[in-house]
Amino acid sequence: MDLYLILFYFFAIITLVSAFFVVTTRNVIYAAFNLMLTLFGVAGFYVLLGADFIAIVQLIVYVGGILILLIFGVMLTNKITDTDIKSGFLNRVPGLLIVGTFAGILIGTLLKSTWRIAAPLPPPVAGLVGIGNLLMTEYTLIFEILGAVLLIALIGAASIARKQSN
Amino acid sequence: MRHQIYLAILLPLLGFLFNGLLGRKIKNEKIVGAIGSGAIGLAFLVVLVSFFETVALPAEQRALIVPLFSWLKVGLLEINIGYQVDQLSLVMAMVVTGIGFVIHIYSIGYMHGDKGFWRFFTYLNLFIFAMMNLILADNFVLLFLGWEGVGLCSYLLIGFWYDRKFEKSTTSDAAKKAFVVNRIGDFGFLIGMFFIYLNFNSLNFTEVFSRAGVLSGIPESTFNIIALCLFIGATGKSAQIPLFVWLPDAMAGPTPVSALIHAATMVTAGVYMVARCSILFASAPLALTVVAVIGLATAFFAATIGLVQNDIKKVLAYSTVSQLGYMFLALGMGAFTAGIFHVVTHAFFKALLFLGAGSVIHGMHEEQNIQHYGGLKKYMPVTQRTFLIAAIAIAGIPPFAGFFSKDEILWKAFSHGGFFFWFIGAVTAMFTAFYMFRLYILTFEGKPRFDSAHVHPHESPKLMTIPLMILAVLSIVGGFIGLPHVLAGEHGNLLENWLEPVFKVADARLLRSAESSGSLEVLFMVLSVCIAAVSIYFARRVYLNKPAIADKAAGTFSGLYRTLLNKYYVDEAYDAAVVTPILKTSRTVLWKFTDVKIIDGLVNSTASLFTGLGERMRKLQTGVAQFYAVLMIAGIALALFWLISIIN
Amino acid sequence: MIPVQDLFASAPLLIIGGSILIALILEMVFDSQSSIVAWFSGSALLFTAYWSLYHLYDRGFAFNNMISISGRTQLLFFIVNFAAAVVVMFSMDYIKKIQTNYGEFYILLLSAVLGMMLIAAARDMVIVFIGLEQMSICFYVLAGFRRKNIKSNESAIKYFLLGSFATGFIVYGMALLYGASQTFSIPEYLAHVETLKSNPIFLLGSLLFVIGFTFKIAAVPFHMWVPDVYQGAPTNVTAFMSTAGKVSGFAALITFLSPFIDYSARTTGSAKFFMPFLATLSVLSMLYGAIVALSQSDVKRMLAYSSIAHAGYMLIGLSALSYEGVDGVLFYLVAYTLMNLGAFGIISILETQDEKMLKIEDFAGLSSRSPLLAAFLAVFLFALAGLPPFAGFFGKYFVFVSAVENGMTWLAIVGVISSVISVYFYLRIIVLMYFSKGENTEVVSVPKSALLGVFVVFIMFVIMSAFPQKFEGIIHTIGLLTY
Repeated sequence: MDLYLILFYFFAIITLVSAFFVVTTRNVIYAAFNLMLTLFGVAGFYVLLGADFIAIVQLIVYVGGILILLIFGVMLTNKITDTDIKSGFLNRVPGLLIVGTFAGILIGTLLKSTWRIAAPLPPPVAGLVGIGNLLMTEYTLIFEILGAVLLIALIGAASIARKQSN
Repeated sequence: MRHQIYLAILLPLLGFLFNGLLGRKIKNEKIVGAIGSGAIGLAFLVVLVSFFETVALPAEQRALIVPLFSWLKVGLLEINIGYQVDQLSLVMAMVVTGIGFVIHIYSIGYMHGDKGFWRFFTYLNLFIFAMMNLILADNFVLLFLGWEGVGLCSYLLIGFWYDRKFEKSTTSDAAKKAFVVNRIGDFGFLIGMFFIYLNFNSLNFTEVFSRAGVLSGIPESTFNIIALCLFIGATGKSAQIPLFVWLPDAMAGPTPVSALIHAATMVTAGVYMVARCSILFASAPLALTVVAVIGLATAFFAATIGLVQNDIKKVLAYSTVSQLGYMFLALGMGAFTAGIFHVVTHAFFKALLFLGAGSVIHGMHEEQNIQHYGGLKKYMPVTQRTFLIAAIAIAGIPPFAGFFSKDEILWKAFSHGGFFFWFIGAVTAMFTAFYMFRLYILTFEGKPRFDSAHVHPHESPKLMTIPLMILAVLSIVGGFIGLPHVLAGEHGNLLENWLEPVFKVADARLLRSAESSGSLEVLFMVLSVCIAAVSIYFARRVYLNKPAIADKAAGTFSGLYRTLLNKYYVDEAYDAAVVTPILKTSRTVLWKFTDVKIIDGLVNSTASLFTGLGERMRKLQTGVAQFYAVLMIAGIALALFWLISIIN
Repeated sequence: MIPVQDLFASAPLLIIGGSILIALILEMVFDSQSSIVAWFSGSALLFTAYWSLYHLYDRGFAFNNMISISGRTQLLFFIVNFAAAVVVMFSMDYIKKIQTNYGEFYILLLSAVLGMMLIAAARDMVIVFIGLEQMSICFYVLAGFRRKNIKSNESAIKYFLLGSFATGFIVYGMALLYGASQTFSIPEYLAHVETLKSNPIFLLGSLLFVIGFTFKIAAVPFHMWVPDVYQGAPTNVTAFMSTAGKVSGFAALITFLSPFIDYSARTTGSAKFFMPFLATLSVLSMLYGAIVALSQSDVKRMLAYSSIAHAGYMLIGLSALSYEGVDGVLFYLVAYTLMNLGAFGIISILETQDEKMLKIEDFAGLSSRSPLLAAFLAVFLFALAGLPPFAGFFGKYFVFVSAVENGMTWLAIVGVISSVISVYFYLRIIVLMYFSKGENTEVVSVPKSALLGVFVVFIMFVIMSAFPQKFEGIIHTIGLLTY
């Protein structure tokens, strides 16, 4: 077994196990910390795929930003030490059954289908410069409208947060 | 103007839009009334000019189609909006816009002070718009749209005083009844249209009729089915057995509406439609016989019911049903011209009778029972004189309009149907004269039977009496357009010559030619005049001189009397045979079965089944978001499962 | 450098995008009670609607073939802009009535329109996705715009949760599609459709992607959010979501399914891969929507179920996967947008501050309280019921014909049955309005701008009903220009 595979399984296990705990734990704080591991594992995949820029962004934005925000949110909205924030379950059995079937069918399809392993991918665009060039040329539109999406997310958030008079 | 005939349709629409949008704001009755009537008056002018233009043309150039635009075109089916200007549609259009105009004028007086004044004119203009579409349509779909449109207006106008009581229930119930009964007829009509499309691959009049005109291997049975389905539609709209029950109830609407819609124009739509499809009916002997028999039976039974009714409008309503029966008798005999002739004259005198009745009701403070009238002659002389003219016209005394048209029908009944048809028709004519003069005498002659301390009868305003006079003149001279050959001399029957090209193919199919009539026809004419005169004499004697005879007769034949008074219990029979079982089933079986609350009275059994189902399925909507997500996943899982199963 | 013709071609997008920014500034500069933002947004939307109508027959691509401005795109631009402009007219008084008169309402509306236009124009899956997000974020906020109202909040949260859930499937589907084809470009799919169709991963991805959008168009069984959200959201927002939102969902489906649509011959087989799937959804939606609507007592909820049923009718045309079917769907979409806008607009006028006039019984005797509104509502309801001679009937007719021509007569029959059922609940309101006496006899005060909105919709609708053939002809022609 070469190092690449070992690393892959390492990240895979981290991702899966922590994701499982995110869903099953009843304590929101634990869920948040497990989510951090999950996101970290995914970042590992990006590194393995050679997309180091995205891996860094994943770490900075998700682990460093969003997750911290999430934990802050939980801590500020509740006296965390006194009461545990619990999330309950509804329709456990039918839910499990249906999700199990769904997962089974998905895995089945993926196993059965032939993946194009042989076809070599075009050499990845190297580094930040390449990505920057692409964003400003071929993908200008996407770049611009993502800006619009972020703007509207801001406005939306402001709108929700603003004080409404009676 | 012939090529701009759509103006005659557009003008009522404009009037409708104007009054509908602004009427409530304007509030001024003069403006609303002038716009409403003016639109119809102008439409009448358009039709009139077109008529004279058409007269000036040689016979073979008279028919004209004015296509406007293609409305729908999918596959083979192509529906155009186009109008047909030919002899038949022009006659009908003149009657509708002409009488419509007069009645609009009358309504300005009649509806004065009503809070729904603008609404009334809005509906009335919409009605004329729909009716003109029906008459001028050049294809079945447009005709059907007009057909539904007039039905809608009729519904709206019957229920116009939705807050008033009508007999045991409300005007809304009467409107609902008209609506439901007409739907049954429309269903037949739709099926008829479907069969026409199936067999002729078109719904365009010109194409269908020309294909039907050349016998192209379509079996007679097909024609029979088509004609019968169309006729079911006609029985609904034109109040024939078995679907006539709605028309007497339709009298819940304002009286001008009864005159315009439920006497002069809309109810004759069925007659027009059959005449328009003359070739289809002429190719269907069985259907033609059915039309004749139903027409005759309706004429007879309605006339007998009319003998004993006490509500002035009810008598006129049954009279209308009976006269419509005459028209269908004529159509059934293959005498399409005679049918249309009677449509025209009937429009004159029946509109007059209704408007006269409206004038009486107006003067008598909404009293409608003729037993509470009497001696109104001296209070309302104009109404009385015009009413008398109309009564003479419908009774069939020459030279008034009704005589010629009715006599033509009776003569055709004899020459094509045989003695039996003539005999029943003549007896009906006798009844007609009797009940009409009973009505006249009880209303205008004799001593007052109302409480003169509280009721002060008065003549109606000029706006109402002038229309009466116009219609009275028409009721007198209207018959001369269709003088029988015996009397007409060298010019012959004007209307018959005029309409001849329209019915040429159908006449040829029926092997009818313009037959010469001889002394026998004159004999029958004299005979029917005698019958009418005797009948009038009896009515006068019984109700003016010896009212006791009537009561005695009612006592002696109490069973028959009560049967007639209760209209042969047809409503009750329908209730017992159709309505109650449906209601019962829904109550005992379906309600308990599905255990649902019924939301309102309109719900019938099928609806309650579905609402029950809906109640059950509604439970899925729990409001819990997780559950929604689970259902989504279930749906996706099923879809994926399907995908896998088809990939392999 | 961006070519100038790209900028010109995507002018509608730029106008709306720029308007968002200007509206933001206006909102900041002017007093919060002033309706300048509303007027500005309304004019911008109307102008864009006019622009796209004017350029209806243009052809072309822009931004590296990522968006197309030809054919159907312009028509869809027109529908969403027109709908949004009418919603602005409805909202001017409505949001004052519900005490949420904030300028950002219009900014969110404009942004949603931008997202919808991106979806309509997209020829690249990434654009579809970003457009969808843009639209959805606005919808989430708008649904909960009435923050003092618990139902409005519930509606927003539910919509957000389930919407994100559906988005998850779309993204997953897109990942699989990319894995199978190494491209997001729809023209590429179109070019290589024969090879791609034999790849299970591609099909799996397509299915998940399509399912994500059937959520947006509210097809059963992915409809569960609709009744709760439509009922809870402010009525003007519901009017917008249920029309323009549905148009965008169908736009995305039509765009994505185009490789599967058979343009040349009416063959069945592998070309019709999605046929049974969409037909099943269609049957479920039509029947479920129609039947459950029968037992509703809230008008907005009833119309929500009715919109589920209408999604079902439109899916008939889509499941035929034929050219005629898609034309029929577009015709239906325009007609549906107009009649639903009209109906919701009138409801938003009638609704009172304390949320009265939302029960069906409240409509009793409306004809005497406001004859004009009652008459308009009656026409829109007749049309929704699919009765001739209104455009709703022709929409149904076109999709039914496309089903019959593609050998799915049974589907058309189910459609007819469900239409017959649905006639009942539409007519019930009409009967109540005209033939019952209500307890409330107060005359309705009608704000001018909202009435103008209803009137504009009504006029458009009448024109469409009078000339369905012309409309169908236009839709057919621009459909030919699309590829």
